[in-house]
Amino acid sequence: MSQNLVELIRRHHQVQAPTALEVLKDAVEDHGEVTDSDRERAAELSGLPEAAVYGVSTFYDDLLAPRGARHVRVCTGTACFAASGDAHVDAVRAGLGLELGERSEDGSVSLAETVCLGFCHSSPAVRVGDAVDAGSGAIERAIAGESRAAPEPEWRSLLSEPVLTRPGDWSGLRRAMAELGPEALLAEVEAGEVRGRGGAGFPAGTKWRFAREAAGAEKFIVANGDEGDPGSYIDKYLMERAPELVLEGLALAGYAVGANHGFVLTRSEYPRSKPLLEAAIARARAAGLLGEDVLGSGFDFDVTVVEGAGSYVVGEETALLACLQGLRGTVSARPPFPAERGVHGQPTVVNNIETLANIPFLAARGAAAYRDLSPGSETAGSKLVCFNERFARPTVVEVPFGMTVRELCEQVAGGLRDGAAIKAVQIGGPLGGILPASRLDTRFDFDALAAEGCMVGHGSILAFDTATNMRDVARHLLRFGADESCGKCFPCRIGLRRAHEEFAGSEPVDRERFEALLEALELGSLCAHGGGMPAPLRSLLTHFPEELGLR
Amino acid sequence: MSTVTVDGVEVEVAPGATVLEAARAAGRWVPTVCFDERQAPFGACRVCLVGIEGSPKPLPACTTPCREGMTIATEDATARRVAGAVVELVLSELPEAPAPHTELAQVAARLGVEETRWPGTVHQTDEDFRHPYLALRHELCISCGRCVRACDEVQGAFALTATGRGFEANITAGLDAGFEDSTCVSCGACADTCPTDAITEIRLLPQSTEEGWK
Repeated sequence: MSQNLVELIRRHHQVQAPTALEVLKDAVEDHGEVTDSDRERAAELSGLPEAAVYGVSTFYDDLLAPRGARHVRVCTGTACFAASGDAHVDAVRAGLGLELGERSEDGSVSLAETVCLGFCHSSPAVRVGDAVDAGSGAIERAIAGESRAAPEPEWRSLLSEPVLTRPGDWSGLRRAMAELGPEALLAEVEAGEVRGRGGAGFPAGTKWRFAREAAGAEKFIVANGDEGDPGSYIDKYLMERAPELVLEGLALAGYAVGANHGFVLTRSEYPRSKPLLEAAIARARAAGLLGEDVLGSGFDFDVTVVEGAGSYVVGEETALLACLQGLRGTVSARPPFPAERGVHGQPTVVNNIETLANIPFLAARGAAAYRDLSPGSETAGSKLVCFNERFARPTVVEVPFGMTVRELCEQVAGGLRDGAAIKAVQIGGPLGGILPASRLDTRFDFDALAAEGCMVGHGSILAFDTATNMRDVARHLLRFGADESCGKCFPCRIGLRRAHEEFAGSEPVDRERFEALLEALELGSLCAHGGGMPAPLRSLLTHFPEELGLR
Repeated sequence: MSTVTVDGVEVEVAPGATVLEAARAAGRWVPTVCFDERQAPFGACRVCLVGIEGSPKPLPACTTPCREGMTIATEDATARRVAGAVVELVLSELPEAPAPHTELAQVAARLGVEETRWPGTVHQTDEDFRHPYLALRHELCISCGRCVRACDEVQGAFALTATGRGFEANITAGLDAGFEDSTCVSCGACADTCPTDAITEIRLLPQSTEEGWK
């Protein structure tokens, strides 16, 4: 990330200038596309050079597809793929007479693809305007112009007392301020061994400690709500059903680290997240829980919500910080780590939404109680998992670590619907390994899944039934990987394109050559996108070689 | 100062020095494509991978800071195998082999990479010869970011940007209307740093494309 551009943004931020990305998003909302005069205006308002604004305007999905009066976005996420292959995409293309990314000549309707809408419990999903329709008949209704908002199932908890599937009550922040103070709070988070819930599993306390000890004129906390992993709708539920819990976690992080401002980066694919968070922020300000002198403690803390614009890799923390500041959402090499140089070049903690939602309980009850939440596991805390539409009872469920994947699939989610059988499950998102039905007795935990080439990741459990062809799965995942590569590092930028090309046709794939490509991706890539895409491919090579069409 | 060992040779490096700087101080060659010593390390090409004792995988020399007592192997077999594969991938996206005088061609030659195992889609020819001195051939761009950073960090003109995403990533000037309709000051820093001749000074073009480099 150019430090010169970041400094320009910092100076403009002080006079409340919008970011270039905000101006460009508004332009698309207003007249359906980005024009050169929009780019000039974005440069003028944001302070970015025109060239940099041009670069931003060519990066994000939301700025690229022209919009008609009725803008239809069909979900091509993995849950929708598992439900219908690509049939729902073909149906909407045929029904509207438009290709993906096309607008009708009269401007009345446009079609784009989107990954993913977070309605994985009711696939296939399609969005018209800001309404997401899903499930049986959704595609037909979208074509007919009769879309309706689909319901989302209630979430639940297997714990005797829910920790994550509850509205926040701010008791953690009250106790931290009355009884702990910042250093003792940080010590509790370290003792609780809170591992990041966004994929990497990095200890939150360590990040906080770095940022607390880093020198900086000001510090920031960023909640990473860019839950781009297709098949996952956990952070969506947290942001939209328990926004107070997320805000309390942010305030606690700010209190421990010495930051007076927090950001939440939400996804544009979840149009309700930003307004629901903003409403909760307004309530918290009115109650003296956010703003100046929180709860009379002398500590100031406020939160701003920023919405992304369609890019999977923006979930990576350095790309997220670039997006937050209105730049192209490309990954930067670390060091410097965000804890040292993040928002506006200042020390910044980036935590996943679910990670932050863990903190209020820990602050209220202490590390020992937090560690006891998963009695059958070494891992502290509980975990939200979510299931896709193939299951009989798909929703978000809070579970202790240490249950087997089979227990989760069969007892918690009720097995597959209509008596179908599981062929394999992909856990944790597109970078997670794939567990065949024969290995479902693996425990759902960091170490046990890693031993199977899988990961906890974001916590999604996405079943493919026995009708699924695993070569189609490889092609689906690699298309996603290539489309979403940010283009920064060479192995990912070119390698994922080549990997997708290998599986795009029907030709047999040379196994040795393909494995050499996976090695270059895995060991060469700058971030977890290129580095992680080989994991599910290796699972397929191990468990379903005969279906992949190898030579 | 801290002491590190590069291929068996001990060198002292300044605080904050990178592994690449240590290797060069020890007189060892590490292949690089996106690195230009006038610019901050970028970490995009991943060709400068080296082996580091205790690290389960090779690390990029340009963005990895030295630690006291670090042991670095510039010719680590895994690192070189991956670096070679990455150079093969880069060659595979170009519609023609890079001119022999370019940095990319020289790195490929020294790594012994002659052709690619992964042929596929190549960049479409898209030439921009509107500027009197600067020629831009988008099809030769490998998105190393050196021109964009030269314009930002060295010249401060901010006339260039990365564009697109993934395999379609490229670069352009201003609002994509050519160098002349941008804040370009015709300094040539971009052409000077380009490792593939995607940006060249026009007067040099005939020599490099028709007669070969003299």
